[in-house]
This record gives sequence, C-alpha cells and structure tokens, in this order.
Amino acid sequence: MKIMIKFLLLVSLWSVGIFAQINNLRTHAPMKLDCKKCHLCDTPTKAEPCLVMCPRNKIEPVRHSVEEAPVDIVINEVDSEKDLYTPVNFSHKLHAKMSLMSGGCAICHHYNPPGKIVKCSTCHEKNRERENLSIPDLKAAYHRQCMACHTSWEEKSECRSCHELNDNIKISNTILPKLEKSHAKIKIPDKIVYQTDSDKGELVTYFHRDHTKLFDLKCMDCHKQENCENCHNQKPDFSKPQPDDLHDKCSDCHDTEGKCYVCHSNVEKKPFNHPTKTGFNLSNFHSNISCITCHKTKNRFTGLKKECKNCHKDNEGYFNHSITGIMLDETHKDLDCEDCHVKNNYMKRPTCSDCHEEDISFPKNIPGEKVRKNHD
Amino acid sequence: MIKHLHKPAPITKKYFTPGVILISLIALNGLVFLLGRFIFGIGAVTNLNDQYPWGIWIGLDVGAGGALAAGGFTTAALGHIMHRDKYETIIRPALLTAMLGYTFVAVGVFTDIGRWYNIWHPLIMWNGNSALFEVGICVMFYLTVLYIEFLPIVTERFMGKVNLPGILSRLNKPIDRLLHTLDRGLDRTMFIFIIAGVVLSCLHQSSLGTLMVVSGPKMHPLWQTPVLPLLFLLSAIAVGFPMVIMESLTASHSFGLKPEKEVLTSLSKFVAPLLSIYLLGKISDMFIRKTFVYLYEFNTISILFGIEVIIGVIIPLRMFLSKAVRESTTGLYIASMLVIFGVLMNRFNNFVTAYNPPYALEPYVPSIGEISVTLGFVAIEILLYRLFVKIFPVISLPVEKVNFKTKYAIRRNSK
Amino acid sequence: MAQNRRDFLKTLATIGVSTGAISAVTPQVAKAGPTNILSDNRMGVLVDATVCIGCRKCEWACQGAHDKVQQDFIEYENNDVFKKARRPDTNNLTVVNKYDSELLGSETIKLQCMHCDHPACVSACIVGALSKEENGSVIWDTDKCIGCRYCMVACPFQVPALEYYKALDPKIVKCDFCFERTKEGNLPACVEICPVEALTYGKREDLLIEAKKRIKNHSEKYFNYIYGEHEVGGTAWLYLSDKELAGEVFPKLGNDPAPGVSESIQHGLFAYFVPPVALYALLGGIMWLSKDKDKSEEKL
Repeated sequence: MKIMIKFLLLVSLWSVGIFAQINNLRTHAPMKLDCKKCHLCDTPTKAEPCLVMCPRNKIEPVRHSVEEAPVDIVINEVDSEKDLYTPVNFSHKLHAKMSLMSGGCAICHHYNPPGKIVKCSTCHEKNRERENLSIPDLKAAYHRQCMACHTSWEEKSECRSCHELNDNIKISNTILPKLEKSHAKIKIPDKIVYQTDSDKGELVTYFHRDHTKLFDLKCMDCHKQENCENCHNQKPDFSKPQPDDLHDKCSDCHDTEGKCYVCHSNVEKKPFNHPTKTGFNLSNFHSNISCITCHKTKNRFTGLKKECKNCHKDNEGYFNHSITGIMLDETHKDLDCEDCHVKNNYMKRPTCSDCHEEDISFPKNIPGEKVRKNHD
Repeated sequence: MIKHLHKPAPITKKYFTPGVILISLIALNGLVFLLGRFIFGIGAVTNLNDQYPWGIWIGLDVGAGGALAAGGFTTAALGHIMHRDKYETIIRPALLTAMLGYTFVAVGVFTDIGRWYNIWHPLIMWNGNSALFEVGICVMFYLTVLYIEFLPIVTERFMGKVNLPGILSRLNKPIDRLLHTLDRGLDRTMFIFIIAGVVLSCLHQSSLGTLMVVSGPKMHPLWQTPVLPLLFLLSAIAVGFPMVIMESLTASHSFGLKPEKEVLTSLSKFVAPLLSIYLLGKISDMFIRKTFVYLYEFNTISILFGIEVIIGVIIPLRMFLSKAVRESTTGLYIASMLVIFGVLMNRFNNFVTAYNPPYALEPYVPSIGEISVTLGFVAIEILLYRLFVKIFPVISLPVEKVNFKTKYAIRRNSK
Repeated sequence: MAQNRRDFLKTLATIGVSTGAISAVTPQVAKAGPTNILSDNRMGVLVDATVCIGCRKCEWACQGAHDKVQQDFIEYENNDVFKKARRPDTNNLTVVNKYDSELLGSETIKLQCMHCDHPACVSACIVGALSKEENGSVIWDTDKCIGCRYCMVACPFQVPALEYYKALDPKIVKCDFCFERTKEGNLPACVEICPVEALTYGKREDLLIEAKKRIKNHSEKYFNYIYGEHEVGGTAWLYLSDKELAGEVFPKLGNDPAPGVSESIQHGLFAYFVPPVALYALLGGIMWLSKDKDKSEEKL
C-alpha cells in the first residue's frame, strides 16, 4: 500500500512537471529547435531554465515581421537622465527596416524567447548598483544598442542626435546648431583590387561602380549581413581583408566554377570596354544607363545589333526618331536615314542641302517638332 | 707639532667693491622675482606644471645647495672628530658656508613649497615612510646644530665687548653674563653637536638621494638606481673639501690675503681617494645595472651624463692625483671648481634632466624667474658670507703671538 | 673649563641611553604615518574602454561633484578636444582622451587617479596628508599639506595636480573616488552618469572576476589583459581594452608596489634607528680615540 501511495505521489509530481513542460513545448515545438541551443542542462525547469550566457544572441531568434513593429516608441524609463534630457522618441519601425540590412530584429532584441517580445527592462535592471555586473543596467543597455551603430559611422557621440536637452540645463548660447541626423554618405569605390592566393591569378579586379551603376546590382544583393558603418563610413577603407565567401556573391551572375579567368588575373584588369569588345560605341547616350536596359535577358549580352532601331523602333518597325528629341514630320519620316545622315554618321549634323536650298539648315530649321528627350 | 701662526679674526677690508655691487644687483633681481612668487603664486614665476612638479629650485637650491654645504660636516669630521688640528683654520669658514648654505636650503624649500606657511608641519606630522620627511627633519635638526656650532664664534666676538647704546646699556651686563654661561655650556657639550652634525649630514645627504627613487620609471635609468642614496652621500663627501678649497682661495683672493696653500694642498690629498670611491660607486652601479647601453643613444641626456662624469669627476680626479696641480693655487682652484661643477651637474641631472614623465604635455625648461631666484639666493649667500666674515672671527689671519685655543673640540686636561 | 675623560664617557653614555630609549619607541614611531588600509572589501571601478563612446559626460559630472568650473553642457560634445592628449589637472580631475586602435579605429579612454593598492603618494607625502582608505580611495587632507609636490613626483601615473597660480592656499587636487558621495551610499559621479556603463563600480575582487569573464566570453573583442590588476601592486581602477594599454595610454610598470624600493631604503637606513645610533657611537669612539692620540702627541 505504501508503495502504491509513493508511486501515485511520484506520478502526480511527475505529471505536474510534464504539464509544465508541455505548456512550454506548445510554444517551443513549432520552432523545431534543438533544446541545447538555449538551455544548457538536459531538463530545464521554469525555476531553473539554465539558459545560455548573456547576451543570448546565439539563441535562435524567433522571427517577427517588421510590419508588426510599432512605428515610434518613447523611451522614458531611465530615471537618472530625466533632469538632463527629455525622453527619446525612437523611430522604431524605421530602425527595424534598416536592421534588415544586417541581422534583423535580433541585433537589438537579442533575447527572443517564444511568445511576446521581451522588454529590455525584463533583464536589464534600472539600478546601476546591483548584484549582477555582467548584465549592463537599463541605461547602459539602451545606449550600447544605439551607440554601437551611431558612433561607428560618424565617429561622433553627440547626445543631441537622439536626446533633447531638458529646460533646466542652462547654456549660454540658446540657439543650438542643428545636428545632421542623416547617415554619412556612402562612398562607392570605383574599383577594388582583391589580393587572393588563387593559382588562377592572384588579383581580382572588381569594378564596384560598374556593378552598381551599369549592371544594376542593388546594394543588398551583395551586402547581406553588414553593419551600418561598413557603408556609412566617413573614412572607408577598401583595402580590408576579404572574407572567403566572395565566390558565392559573384556566382549568381558569374561562372565561378569554370571561368576563373573572367575575374582572376595576375595583373590588374581594365574595366569592360563596350566599343572595343563589341564594336558598339556607347557614346554620350548610352554610357550611363544600366546594361539591362538594352540587354533585357539576364546574363545574355549577345544578339543585339548595332542599328538603333533594334531598340528604338516605333509601332511600324522603323527607328523611333522622337528619342533624339525631334519627332520627324510626315515628309521626313519616309526618308532613308542616309538621306540626311551622310554615311550613317550620326555624330555629325544632318545635311539638308541635298534636297533643300542653301538657306535651310539644321539646327535653324527642324524637320519636324521638338519633343522631350526620352532615354528609355 | 707645528703651531700655525694664524688666528681667526674679523676682516677689516671695506664691504663694497664693484664685484660686490654686481652681486647685489643679482640678489636684488632675485628678490623681485621672489616677491612675484609670493604675490602671484608659483605658477606665475616658474615653468613648473603638473607633469614637472620639481624644477631647479629643488634640484639646485635644495639638492645641489645641500651637497655643496657638505664642506661643513666633512671638515668638522676631519678637524674635530679625527683631531687633525692643522685644518683648524678652515673649519670656521667651512662652518659658516654650511650654515649659510643650509639656511638657504631651508629658504629654498620655503620658496618652493606651495603652502609655505605650513613648513613646520613635518615637526608634528610624521610619515616615517617618506624620504622627504627624513630630509626635512634632518635638515631642520642639522640647521639647528649648525647654528649651535656657530654660537661660540658669536660669544667669542662679543664676550666682554657688549656695549649697547642708550637705555639698552643696562642690559650690557646680563647679556655679557649670558654669553659667558653660553660659552661655558657650549664648550662642554659641543662634541655632542659636532658628532650629531656629522650623523645628521650623512643621513640627509643620503636621503636626498632616496628622494627620487620613488619616482621609479619616470626617472632615466642612467640615474635611477636603488643605490642613489649612497651615491649622493659619497658625492657630498667628495665635494666637501673642494668646496672648502674653492672658498678659501676665493676669500683670500677677494680680501687680498695670502692663500693658505699649505693647508689646502694637504687637504686636497683627501679629494682624489674620496672622488674615486664616488666614481667607483657610480661606474660599478652602471655596469651592474647595465645602463651603459643608454650612452650609445647620442642625445641630450647621454651628453649631460657624459659632462657630469667626465668633466665633473674624471678630469678633476686626474688633476687631484697630480702633485703639481695640488701644489699650484690655480690648479687647485680649477680642479676644485670642476668637482663642484660635477656635483652641481649631478644634482641638476638627478632632479631635472633625468625626470622624464612619459605623458608630459610640454618639456620643462627653467624660467627666467626660477633662474633669477636661484642666482639671487647664491648672491645673497655670498653677500652674507662677506658680511659675516667682517663681523665675526671666521677667517684666520696671521698673528704674531701664538695663543691658539682649540674651540669646541674635546678639551685637553692640560693647562 | 676642561672636560675630562670621565665626563666625556658619561655624556656619551647619556646620549647612548637616550637614543636607546628613542629606538625603543621606534616601532610606534616608524609606523607613525598616514592611514594606509588595504581592505579585502575595497571598492574599484572596471573601465571597459571598448564600450566608452567618448561623450565626456564623466568630465562634466565630475566637475559638478567637486565644485569645479563646468563648461557649457553641450561643449562636452565637442570632439575637438580629442586632437590633443590631455592630462588630469586642477579643474579636470578626469579627462577622456582618444587613442588610435587597430580593432575599433579609435578608442576613447578615461584617465584619473588609479587609486593604487600601495600608493606611492601616500608613502611619499612628507606630512602623511594622503591616505588610503578602507573603501579603496586615496584621499588627502588639505589642512596638513605643505604643497611640496612630492606626491606628484612619486605618482607613477602622473595624476596629482597643484593649483600653481594661487599664491595663498594652493591645493593638491586629484580624483578622490568621490569619497564624500560614496560615504553616503552614492555612486561616484562619473560612474553614475556614464550612459553606456563603461564604468562599473564594485568590489575590486568582484570586478576582476567580471573582467576575466568578459575577456573569456568575448576573446575577439578584448586584449587579454586587465591593466591595473597587477601594476604597481594593483590599482582600484581596472581597465579593459581591445589593445595593449601599457605604453601609449598608461606607463609600462612592474608589479612591485611603487613605493617599495624607496620605503625599504628608508626603513633600512632607519631600522629602529640602529644605523644612525651606530654611526653616532662610531664617530664618538673615533673622536675619543683620536683625542687620546692628540694628547699623547702633545705630551711628547
């Protein structure tokens, strides 16, 4: 009998434990996580969850959508600052969006147990005099989060970037210079020459400007997990040692398996020269438009003919002359190009004298009407 | 034993000469800056700052001043403790120099410390760990001892000659009686003070060396060594006699007396051994700590070290070893001057050159004010010396009758 | 008035007895000096230079707490001061300097009195005006101070400053670890205001544990060294950084207490007054002997 009671007691206790675990499992289960990612011991309990050390950024974050994020937050919890500054208005959603460039929400919300988002003050104590010195107090936690980025790209620590002075702070000059809140301008290098130890050629010349301006790459196509200051930097350093995964970044477009010579060389490469490589001179009109404007199919750059009407044609299949800023009138529309543009040289002025008297010339007289230039 | 035909007596030559007037001007200039220091603060007159807290006022006025007054205790040790009676004639001038020298060490400290009105604090506020405390206490005691040692000269001058004018004449008798009592009392106990003077000198001369030890790596390794106190003591002992020789020659030249060449020559025999002990100490310290590597770096610091050792020690050592130099007045004078320069340089190097705090914002160069005050003090010392030898029987003059009485030595039972 | 040999011996003996009496009380005298407590519970500050943002609010708060002249509040945001390295002085008991750093580009580091465990200034002070208190702070008593500046000579970190431009009542000034504030249970002013908690106040031994933990957990972020743990026998203020601080920021110092050599010389020379008394006796002996010789010479 005694054994029976003991057994029942044990079972009931056990079931309570199980129940508690099940309760958590309900939220945990959908995440399909290895328990050891967050818990150090085999059987974590509510009383002793034995979570991994802070900061718990190694804990698999629970993803939240940026769209769920509150727009603005007033940070009003740090008491010791209240006589110096007014509460900070934090543009939360804006920052959340920016965070997508980097680690996402988790770069600030570094502890994301399942369920509601944990407030900073849950772990970070308000009191600076406290037992656990390993976790920064609330004031420090806020500032460290913000200043980690805010100082790094502008090397400034002006409190007024975020705080407004409280009225009781007396200053001799009441009109304060406005602080520039915008990010430091991104300086894009023309090219970066990577030094590699590849036997296919040590140097890889990367034409950064061409890739972003002409090849139509977006920053985030390559810069996926970057800190703000990597780009918003006053003194960018483009000679930094490179990570090993550069091939991955290029392999979307380049054949990084076979055609090493495209990028690798023992000498610094020259930029892609359209006229010498293809015979088509980009001239004034095409030098600043991205490749994809003409080469519509991704990664296919052949098959375009030199003739303008290849791209610029009107509904009837002729060259759409309006693109030059002059819509030809009916008379001139039917002429051959060579009739006015001698020897198909479009750089020179058109010749009118073949048909007209000498008093008619371009640009005094126009064979049609002026329209807005349209490069597209 | 040969009795000297000399007896100390006040000099009767007139006080002011063109040279004295020039010295008076230097003194006056120093006093002007001194006034500035006490009205506007140390910062207004000196180039001292938070990184260089000590300048030439400590390095020269106190450090070198103390060392150069060492003639007092070395001659006292020689004349009184070892009873070499033939040096009797130089003891009094040396004592006067020491007395004036230490008075100006005290004045120098008084000028340099920021809260001068608290200068008496070390008497009741003790810190046994502090080298400066020991220097302070020893200097205070030694200064008192020096004044006591000088007292017999005062009593000798005025005993039976007290003649105050007017109403004060009523005091003549009691004062005279007081002088007699003093003289008798001092006669009996003087040896206590003489020994105390030597002990106190040894203590604070070495503690002056300990002063900079605490600054640790801020002091250049060419000078920073745990044996600094020993080197300071040895150099002070070595510079004692050259200082006495230099003074004696200067005084006799200035007062148109015949130089006491015989005494000085035999005194100069002690210099070479003392100097070589000091040099040995310095060189062996350098080799034990292997600091000679810093001499290969050819910079201001190594040059100043070279000047200090070569011109200030080695050359005069060689000169004092030569009999010809020892027997020539000029030779003695130059050699003594070099030793004095060497020790002066050593103290300057220890306190100023060697002190190089790594995070100084600007280097220290003594200001005109500091130099003026230091020169001013030296000038005043010279003026006071001249005054004292005119008033008191300090310098020995040739006398016809041999009636020489050893003052403040342990008396003989004879007579 | 001649003195005979018996008199001489008598007097010498009297001196011997009296100096003996002095040496008997020396144990107390030798210890006569300032408070110098090395408590196990002494406090300290852990400065994490990798966190510091160089906002200089500590300078502002410090000046406020010590009745110093404060600049305009927003002037502290002016980064131009970083162009020149500064030192603590009479109005700035703490200064923040900017140093180059390989890992972070630049690093701002706060300087102030380190509050040594074995302070050279306390050992050096001629009147014992400086003291090491139980809570770890090194403070001083201006009323005792004579303004000799020996503490400034002694300090291995070049911290104490003097009000050189005051003719009367110039004071030695340095960080006092906010002795008055901490006595009332407040934090030091700089620690309290630091927005990023680059300064952590706590028991020194706890801070050392914490510092080691940080280095262990973030070995990529920290240079594996706690400046102040052992320097000159340990300091109350401890520094963590991403680079070696000894050299550019702080002096390269040994692990022996700064006043060690000086104190042992001092105590060696004055070991219970034995050396001075022995010297006195020796000189007395020489004097007595040579007097004898003199007399015999005279009799010849």
